[in-house]
Amino acid sequence: MKLLHLYDDIMNLYGDYANVAALRRILENSGETVTVDKISLGGQAELTDYDFVYIGSGTEENQKLVMKDLARYRESLKAYIQDGKTALLTGNAFEMLGKSVTDSEGKVHEGLGLYDFTVTEQSKTRVTGDVIYESDFLDKPLVGFVNKCSEIQGIKDSLFTVKMGLGDFEGAKAEGIRDRNLFGTHLTGPALIKNPHLLAYIAQCVTGKQPETAYLEHERAGYEITLNELTKRTGES
Amino acid sequence: MRMIFTILVCKLLRIIGKAVGKGSSLPGQVALKLCPDILSRVKLPSYIIAVTGSNGKTSTVEMIAHILTSNGKKVAWNKEGSNQIEGVTTLVLNSATLGGKVKSDILLIESDERFAKYTFRYIKPTHYVITNLYRDQLTRNGHPEWVYNALKDSIHEGTQLILNADDPLVSRFGADRKDVVWFGADKLSSDTETLESVYNDGAYCPVCKAPMTYTTHHYNHIGHYRCTECGYRRQDTEYTITAVDLDKGVMEIDGKYRISLALKSLYNIYNILSAYTVARIAGISGEKIAADMNNYVLQNGRVITFTLGNRRGTLLTSKHENSISYDQSLRVACAYKEGCDVMIIVDAVSRKYFTSDVSWLWDIDFEMLRSPNVRQIVLAGKYVNDLAVRFSYTDIPNDKIKLFEDIDEAADYLNSDRKEYIYVITCFSDKGKFLGKVKVD
Ligand SMILES: [Zn+2]
Repeated sequence: MKLLHLYDDIMNLYGDYANVAALRRILENSGETVTVDKISLGGQAELTDYDFVYIGSGTEENQKLVMKDLARYRESLKAYIQDGKTALLTGNAFEMLGKSVTDSEGKVHEGLGLYDFTVTEQSKTRVTGDVIYESDFLDKPLVGFVNKCSEIQGIKDSLFTVKMGLGDFEGAKAEGIRDRNLFGTHLTGPALIKNPHLLAYIAQCVTGKQPETAYLEHERAGYEITLNELTKRTGES
Repeated sequence: MRMIFTILVCKLLRIIGKAVGKGSSLPGQVALKLCPDILSRVKLPSYIIAVTGSNGKTSTVEMIAHILTSNGKKVAWNKEGSNQIEGVTTLVLNSATLGGKVKSDILLIESDERFAKYTFRYIKPTHYVITNLYRDQLTRNGHPEWVYNALKDSIHEGTQLILNADDPLVSRFGADRKDVVWFGADKLSSDTETLESVYNDGAYCPVCKAPMTYTTHHYNHIGHYRCTECGYRRQDTEYTITAVDLDKGVMEIDGKYRISLALKSLYNIYNILSAYTVARIAGISGEKIAADMNNYVLQNGRVITFTLGNRRGTLLTSKHENSISYDQSLRVACAYKEGCDVMIIVDAVSRKYFTSDVSWLWDIDFEMLRSPNVRQIVLAGKYVNDLAVRFSYTDIPNDKIKLFEDIDEAADYLNSDRKEYIYVITCFSDKGKFLGKVKVD
């Protein structure tokens, strides 16, 4: 299995790299031989060579920089997704796939245009908070944290529904984007570590086989504790 | 009349607050309600020093206050560390006469980074120290560039900036200004040629975003950097750490002042250097400052030595959600040649705010605990599973690690006849839970 971590040195704000490490481990524990390539700004990646592509979150400035660079891959990324291959984009990484990102000064930055949504940033308040999401492909909810300054309008096929906390925009009940095996979510940081069931699901998308999950003991215990802590909060509010 | 009344109320509330053990921000909050422009009505001293940055501001301010007062200056400063506008208002009004005149030679303010722009709208510092900008409490601060932008709005014309030249993001504040005072460290014996950190916030130039190169790293992305494109580079320093020996616990400033260190960490030497820099600017001689800082033990409770049964140990307060703070504490433990056990507690991520976010654990360089100086590792607290997972992604052997969800049980486990020194690394939010089990010196 070949994994590609794109922009690992510049889109890695909240320990996002751990998602790739987690996927590597579950695949190896499931008997696969795994290599991970890290390719950043100006590098050249052949997406068709890979079984999994990951991009993490970055500062607003860095996201714009990366978005320009990523435009080179527009066609190959489109084909990659249409082939049903697996990609995960967390934090503001998946915002790059829409029509545009308008920054806090009103400047419009062109996105890859693979989807019709638009993104608007502001610089007044940081929009942050713990979240609980649900999905139609996992029987347990997801836990995590969102850390952004943007609103996203116009996503047709959402990834999650919001049980607690922030969605695509203020008051939104939907979060993220799903297209075949492309997963885009504003969950920041090591979402696959925090949600071992999501990790297992994505591993299965990559290999087409049921992965080995027995070793994820502490991951599951940690998940239950976090879910419990967050659920207590929904009771309070 | 309104001013006198407001000052009076603030003073009274502070007296009552102190008696019942309340923090120092409420009186200022009430005062700002009663008289929103109170800070522009009072007469401030002509010398106003402000200190901000992700790490070290409380310690630096304490050191500056110590040096200035022991050299005969009358200093008003926010000892309690309430560093938003309310706390600063309490400080100012509490130090003022009823006529509104602050009765000190120098006003010394520790300020929160994100809220500095509100505080300094009314109080314009004459000298403004910015220590560093790191990944710190990102669940509220967003990221360092976000904080940079917020902090930029707090800097006014006519304020002299005193900046850490070794921090590429902080240095950007001084890019177009004339009278900046730079402090920093020469290449030190403890430096590394390559980056030793889980992530690299110095990979790209903060000005033009081209790749940067380093000739030396003091720690993490703090060091001597240069942009490969636009010429942005580490500035030459006026006040400088010229040598350090962390084993012996000695630092040297400006090639002639030797200071013995009560806490042998790079953090500590930077805090001392920034305090030294401010004191020099305030006219105090290098000899006197060095004498005041020699073996100086911080009074702010960040470093606490204790006894647990027959064992001795030190608690190093490290900020949760701040990986560099953790890295520094881990480094102190790893340098302990006689052998130590290390305990890490993550029970409540934050003291004031609720969050279950532990993504910051992945930015901490726990790998260094593989050091042979570290014999056993005890992980404890509600988030012990998250710690265990994080450690499973290091090469530290499993049998070196013990897990306890309960902090009491972890402390009982450490209360053994082992001979190793104990380092406890945790945050303000969790340290009380451990200190209740030990005898504090
Ligand atoms: Zn540059």
